[in-house]
Amino acid sequence: MSFAFAHPWALLLALLAIIPLYKSGQKMLTYSCLALLPEDNLSLWIDRGLRFLAGLAALLLALGIAEPYLREQWVEKTGTGAHIVLLVDRSSSMNENFSGTYLGGTAHESKSALASKLMVEFIDRRKHDFFALVAFSATPIYVLPLTQDHEAVRSAVLALGGRGHGITNIAPGLAMALGHFSGQPVTGSRIVLLVSDGAARMEPEIAEALRQQFQDNQTALYWIYLRNPKGGKLTEAPKNPNESTTPEYYLHQYFHSLGVPYQAFEADNTKALQEAIAKVESLENRPLTYREKLPRQDLSGLCYGSALICWIGLLAFQSLEVKAWNI
Amino acid sequence: MRICLYLSWRFWSLFGAAVLLSLCIAHPTLPMQRPVFRYLFVIDITQSMNARDYHQDGFPADRLGFVKASIRQALDKLPCGSEVGLGLFTTRNSQVMFEPLEICGHFPLIADVLDHIDWRMAWAADSHIARGLYTGLREAAALGANTRLVFFSDGQQFPPEPDFPPFDGQPGAVGGLIVGVGGTQPVPIPRLDKENRPMGFWETMDLRDYLPPSALPKDGANFYLSRLDVQSLTRLATITGLSYVQLETPENLARTLLARNLAAERTVKVDIRWILGSLTLLLLLITRLNFSPIGKKI
Repeated sequence: MSFAFAHPWALLLALLAIIPLYKSGQKMLTYSCLALLPEDNLSLWIDRGLRFLAGLAALLLALGIAEPYLREQWVEKTGTGAHIVLLVDRSSSMNENFSGTYLGGTAHESKSALASKLMVEFIDRRKHDFFALVAFSATPIYVLPLTQDHEAVRSAVLALGGRGHGITNIAPGLAMALGHFSGQPVTGSRIVLLVSDGAARMEPEIAEALRQQFQDNQTALYWIYLRNPKGGKLTEAPKNPNESTTPEYYLHQYFHSLGVPYQAFEADNTKALQEAIAKVESLENRPLTYREKLPRQDLSGLCYGSALICWIGLLAFQSLEVKAWNI
Repeated sequence: MRICLYLSWRFWSLFGAAVLLSLCIAHPTLPMQRPVFRYLFVIDITQSMNARDYHQDGFPADRLGFVKASIRQALDKLPCGSEVGLGLFTTRNSQVMFEPLEICGHFPLIADVLDHIDWRMAWAADSHIARGLYTGLREAAALGANTRLVFFSDGQQFPPEPDFPPFDGQPGAVGGLIVGVGGTQPVPIPRLDKENRPMGFWETMDLRDYLPPSALPKDGANFYLSRLDVQSLTRLATITGLSYVQLETPENLARTLLARNLAAERTVKVDIRWILGSLTLLLLLITRLNFSPIGKKI
């Protein structure tokens, strides 16, 4: 099951282990009156033992060459952590910096580059968490399923630092993010972490369907809103309410009405963004069943080691060998 | 000295074997040069990629599905230590989904993401191949010197443009391939709704607002057809210094991706225990041979 050979063909060499059983490898000495001597049981058994030892040594060598190993294994453990779907805005406005200036293709201060950098740090600190990643602009992109492969999550979040394209369309993104949880058993707290710099109007029927999905999947929602310092605050009702000019305010209201834990963090500079991520981090530390991968274990060293033990016996007896009667 | 004379050759070969065996336990390795690959696969997910013109048993008929299945098979053939990243192309841009990951350690994940790639992920519907390819090259360059771009597309430009925009990069700075997808016979493009249900085919009349008058048919009603545009793709390959290959079977893709000129040599530590182990076994078996030394008095 979890046991395998790296080079199974080398097991054929094990057939060679028969040779030492038939050939003792001792020098034949002639003695004129051998027939006179009684059969000595002890000698017979020592001879058999030595043949067996040599056969065993050959067998162990063949096994060692075939490289047996225990496959990678998953062990279930309980710790603290969460299942987090990162739902990250990749619309073209994410290429700008916080003050709304477009910085050119290679800028390191764009909102997306900053968010990506801080998220990588976040992921590195959360060793036991599961992460999934959905990037969205006009449509959502399935980037990664829920996984504990943090190296992969890292490489995907790093790629988010690149240029984004298209408009912001939040609803399909939320639906895809929630899709990662539907039909799965609840084995830890579930979070959708939305990182975006804006919102868009949502159709009422879609809003209702999403509400149902949030409740069914018992998923908490955190929104890190990368706000333009000149833009409106989520908590302040706009002067002339209109869902197409200030969709963020309405989205915030809607999220509050979901009936699941929800918190928004407004960040209009790097420091605020850092603080927002730290807050999310402190919130989600509930018991979590997670699986840890034990790496593949090599067993050929064990074979070679055991063969070496046989060897000591073989050598000891070989050194006692009588070469000739007349020394 | 006396002891040397006293002990037999059998003893010394067993002794030598024991030394080899002890070395074995120390897990010796030798540094060796092995070819590995670092690829960024960028896949065209515009709607013409839904056209169905592949006919191979056990593989999807649509271009995008065939590309995915072919990449999936090629992943199996690439040596461990090779890295693969995935990206999407639509409109004017290539967007990287994840940076190249070592394939053996992350295989299930890469396969899952590949499986989920879908035309509905396109953030806009146009298809400016040349610009997409240029941004793909830029993304690949940003991912490190050994990264090769493999750009999968049918070359179907939409809306049609008379000429390619100028390439401002250096041809050949990023190596790699353009993989032409589809057949050379024009076929209609399926029109699918958001749930992926077929709604017939794209007709020229649906697209008349985007097409130049010359591309409009005289009689009015007919399908908007798509075929693999070999000519455009080979021209783009020349402009950018990439090689052009046509995706005919999954096997030919795997073979192309294993080409030595796309590989980077990397030093890997090769386990040599099996060599020592075999020598030990050989020495043991030699001691079991019976040959009486000639000229010696027993």
